[in-house]
Amino acid sequence: MRAAADIASAVRGGSLSARAAVQASLDRINATEPAVNAFTALLAERALKRADQVDADPRRGQLWLAGVPFAVKNLFDVAGLPTLAGSAIEATRAPAARDAVLVRRLEAAGAVLVGALNMDEYAYGFTTENTHHGATHNPHDPARISGGSSGGSAAAVAAGQVPLTLGSDTNGSIRVPASLCGVFGLKPTFGRLPRTGSYPFVAALDHLGPFTRSVADLALAYDVMQGPDAHDPACAQRPPEPTSAQLGVGSAGLRIGVLGGWFREMAMPEALAAVDAVAEALGTTRLIEWPEVARARAAAFLITAAEGATLHLPDLQTRPQDFDPMTRERFLANALIPAAWVAQSQRVRHWFARQVARSFETVDVLIAPATPCVAPPIGTEWLHVAGQRLPARPSMGLLTQPISCIGLPVATVPLWGLCPDAPHLPIGVQIIAAPWREDLVLRVAAALEAQGVCSAPLAQPAST
Amino acid sequence: MDSVEAHVDATAAVLGLRIPAESRPAVLRYFALAAAMAEPVMAMPLTPADESGSVFIPVEPAGQP
Repeated sequence: MRAAADIASAVRGGSLSARAAVQASLDRINATEPAVNAFTALLAERALKRADQVDADPRRGQLWLAGVPFAVKNLFDVAGLPTLAGSAIEATRAPAARDAVLVRRLEAAGAVLVGALNMDEYAYGFTTENTHHGATHNPHDPARISGGSSGGSAAAVAAGQVPLTLGSDTNGSIRVPASLCGVFGLKPTFGRLPRTGSYPFVAALDHLGPFTRSVADLALAYDVMQGPDAHDPACAQRPPEPTSAQLGVGSAGLRIGVLGGWFREMAMPEALAAVDAVAEALGTTRLIEWPEVARARAAAFLITAAEGATLHLPDLQTRPQDFDPMTRERFLANALIPAAWVAQSQRVRHWFARQVARSFETVDVLIAPATPCVAPPIGTEWLHVAGQRLPARPSMGLLTQPISCIGLPVATVPLWGLCPDAPHLPIGVQIIAAPWREDLVLRVAAALEAQGVCSAPLAQPAST
Repeated sequence: MDSVEAHVDATAAVLGLRIPAESRPAVLRYFALAAAMAEPVMAMPLTPADESGSVFIPVEPAGQP
């Protein structure tokens, strides 16, 4: 599968038809799905019809994503499909009347939606071990998890099924699967991209963003999706601030630091090696430590737990048996959380955001591991981190949760060969900036990609 | 019965939430995990000046200038 920018350029120039680009994607999906299980719905008829419209469009030469096949986590509304959000419960609801805003924006730029992707039920997980739809397998090692909750989104890109997908990130659900599947991911600033037409998990923390196999594609998709939308009250009323033209500026002149404390203590050797490789490439030895990271992570945990469970209270009261066993008891327990814990968590969150803002007075970009380790085998129950035996599934978000808690923009970049026991597996590094500085994280990611420090090679899962 | 069990049973009753018997051990375990997370959060020394900062945005009717 070619990069999105290459496909769009060829379709704009007339050397490739959108139909051929979409058909190649559908063929790759059909060949690799048995090994990956990234998709929950394939929209071949809609996609080919839309591709023909792109081919016939007299403005084809001006469409930034002309003919680019893409897919979305199944919490995005797709006209005519029930918005599953990884559940069985939502399958019985009415189908969506129209596409989510971000789907419409990508298609307005010439992209073509080919399907919907697997996820943890209601986005409450980091592994995409979904009981209703099956686990999504890591395309680089099918015995291992893809990460989650946007596991299908990361796996579909890694497997070359599509060059672009969308996911959501409440506590790490873009950055964790990007790390484990070895692709690029962008979690923009909280409030940057409108969530209109997507199934919420935690409105106070939900972000949407893209996955790709190159930084240029990441910036291209992000630029096309920017702009306010009145129907998402959390969406900032900011005009688009395009990033693609600045990608080649490089990292020179930027003040870059490595996050210490929690972000090194909760990382295994391969995660530390990845951060150290990035730090060396960027020429920094500066260590920055944020205060009270563990409390911020706990605050995000509690806000997530309470708000997520409240959303599902009517179903928890009437049909708890229909929830995925992977989430059911967590939702039931979380519905019982006292209000004081949540109100205090919001206060801790804002205190932490103010402290972190001070750190960005002396630094432009910070780096930290995206996950504590490479992808564990499917079914792994425990991780050993920092001398502690921790439950594996929630622990995959230990290093992402404190950052989404305060809405900072993060690009996740994949590095390879750093785990001696599993040299074939990737691990991601978070490139973090102050709010609204997506341009900086993408610039640094592009510089690292140009140096060959990070890359997203195509996985070769078993094909039929 | 410890305080976690007492809270889970009382709050579930108030909310009309039936905890299936087979789910009860896991629910208690997950609530205890949330309680462990709440401990450092509630112990954070904050002042009245550290308000949440959560902003409600009033919603204008459509068609306003």
